[in-house]
Amino acid sequence: MLSIQHIHKAFQLHTVLDHVSVEVPEGQVLAVLGRSGCGKTTLLKTLAGLLPPDAGSIKWAGESINEVPPREREMVYLFQEPLLFPHLSVFENIAYGLRVRKTPEAEVQSKVQSMLRELELQEHAQKKPDQLSGGQRQRVAFGRAIIFLPRVLLLDEPFASLDAQTRSAMQKLFLRLARKYGITALFVTHDVKEALLIGDRFAYMAAGKLTLYRSKEAFMDDPATGVQEELAFWNSIEHNISTNDK
Amino acid sequence: MLRKSLTVILASAILLPFLFFTVLSVGQSWFYPSVLPQRFTLANWQQLWSGQSELQFGLVRSLILGLGVAILSTLLGFIISKEIALAKYKNRWLLLAYWPFVLSPVVLAIMVQRFFLLTGMSGELIGVLLGQLILAFPFAVIFFQSFWSREVLQLEQQSQTLGASAVYTLRHVLLPLAKSLLLICFFQTFLISWFEYGLTQFIGLGKVKTLTILVFKYVNEANIFHAALASLLIMLPPALLLWANKKFVFRGI
Repeated sequence: MLSIQHIHKAFQLHTVLDHVSVEVPEGQVLAVLGRSGCGKTTLLKTLAGLLPPDAGSIKWAGESINEVPPREREMVYLFQEPLLFPHLSVFENIAYGLRVRKTPEAEVQSKVQSMLRELELQEHAQKKPDQLSGGQRQRVAFGRAIIFLPRVLLLDEPFASLDAQTRSAMQKLFLRLARKYGITALFVTHDVKEALLIGDRFAYMAAGKLTLYRSKEAFMDDPATGVQEELAFWNSIEHNISTNDK
Repeated sequence: MLRKSLTVILASAILLPFLFFTVLSVGQSWFYPSVLPQRFTLANWQQLWSGQSELQFGLVRSLILGLGVAILSTLLGFIISKEIALAKYKNRWLLLAYWPFVLSPVVLAIMVQRFFLLTGMSGELIGVLLGQLILAFPFAVIFFQSFWSREVLQLEQQSQTLGASAVYTLRHVLLPLAKSLLLICFFQTFLISWFEYGLTQFIGLGKVKTLTILVFKYVNEANIFHAALASLLIMLPPALLLWANKKFVFRGI
């Protein structure tokens, strides 16, 4: 289990994370909803070890990992934009984590081929990232992140730059792979629908404070999350259409 | 057609001086109004390869300085420019890097000469190397600023969270991405050292005779045949580097 206790982070006088505490059981996806600038990215970067917290502790299976460098945390941070290594082919991008761990070549070949099939990217294996579409790049970034089964995936609005159709396809792909590989993840998004679709657990973040909900219903009922507002909008649209039809 | 003409003009501009200096370097007794020297001999060239000649030492000294300055400034520039890119007051550090160029190299030489005198490095090869680094190193720092973009720094972080060590990230991500820039910087800083005159003369006290210093010396002595040979040697390594990097240099002509 990933356990975050009283994480505090400030940049000069501006508090970005205000004593954030949350627990994510293994194999579950915590959807964190929040608007731009609420501290979501800082939270993920702190968990990945890319930013040191001012206070608080991060534990995995009961052991503190505050002092563990990013490369040993086994927590992969996925940026908003799919950051692929531009000089490497799709195959080598996906194989990166395995090569870092000095996995035997035969195993690299079989795992990467299997992942390429999973991502439906077999025919693009030898292409360079600049020859792929946005959705394909994001799929490669996913494959590269989960191929060596890290402890935790930290996803920073990974589908924000995709069009609605590709976004929907990626959400389904993520859910399928998350279930298949039992992925533990923190999925940050500003999209209410995406949070509801992806998450097993739900949290809302505003001004550096994180609120964890007991259930999906509690998350939906809280006016701060905007779920009720969204529902009201769609209800009004539906109502207008049915009134016009009459 | 235009492209072909431009290539011919460019090639001629590079090759004609080589031809002229080659003829001059094998000439002897060239008096007005003769179009060509009256005698041709390989004596100057034989002198160069026979050992103990001033020109041979000059060539070796210039090569040591050029390679030393290029290697050190490219490596240090690559590392320090990253630190500056990550620094809180990035622009202040960059302003410092521009400082040697705001002053002219000669003024700079006057300013730092006392340091070299006190440390006993005046008139020594090591002193000239350090002196040339004062110009080449800030150049490399400024040159690599464009490389350390937000995207490259994020790629480095991505590599770390995928489990790669700093050395692995450097070898497999950063160096391959920076390869062409590293080559160009090496080439440029080599040329800075290769053609440097003011600082070399001032800090070297005229004792460290590089090829550039020798060309001026031979020209002052009206020794045109030695000056031609020295000029030819000066032009050769840059021309070879130019040839090696032709795909970058001649691209888009």
